[in-house]
Amino acid sequence: MSEAEKAGVEIVAVSPDPNARSHEMAQRLHLGYRFVADADLAVTRRYGLVHVRGGQSGEDVPIPTTVVLDRDGVVRWLWISNNFQVRPDPADVLRAVRALPAA
Amino acid sequence: MRSGWLVVLSLLTAVGAIAGYSQLLRVPAVRNQPEGYVAALAIATTIAALAVALGRRWYAWATLVVSLVLLLGSATFNFVLARIPEPRTTLRVGERPLDLTLPDADGRLVSLADYRGQKPVVLVFYRGYW
Repeated sequence: MSEAEKAGVEIVAVSPDPNARSHEMAQRLHLGYRFVADADLAVTRRYGLVHVRGGQSGEDVPIPTTVVLDRDGVVRWLWISNNFQVRPDPADVLRAVRALPAA
Repeated sequence: MRSGWLVVLSLLTAVGAIAGYSQLLRVPAVRNQPEGYVAALAIATTIAALAVALGRRWYAWATLVVSLVLLLGSATFNFVLARIPEPRTTLRVGERPLDLTLPDADGRLVSLADYRGQKPVVLVFYRGYW
């Protein structure tokens, strides 16, 4: 999403995964993501985005979700998956970012 | 058409459905329509049933069983196992969410408040390695 960087957007990616692995992935994919770890899913749970016992071995996992926040931190676009194979189309996310009012 | 050719067509359709989906996962239009591979396996099963109808050979029956198992398996995976129940999210369009403070890979704390008044944020929740 180098286009997102050009658009002056910060991408904050939250997962329970250990940071080292996510970081490795970021470098491998050359993504300008800021990866943060929510190891015990406390924050994800507070947002109501936990799929209870949705993991491969029955553990709780995050529901794939993408949120676009404007400069004031207000939610302007929200996409929550209802099937764990499905992810938002990056083109839709970019469109939502571009629709934000300019600074 | 001969039964043998239909068997080949059925198997090619089934293999194509699975290989196509897994190879094209990076294409959003493919990834986000998982019903596509279920539909393709339904077609493979139909072709195998035609093959059985045309000539009741053991290989036609075997192809029918294989494609039916793949169809039922993929349908169960996509329509049951992969489903995520409706979340009770606290996020609302037009509202400012609760803040979060979490450590990044270098142990630095990241908050949504850091960006307020600075730049927009795309906040992504994901399951793990993929």
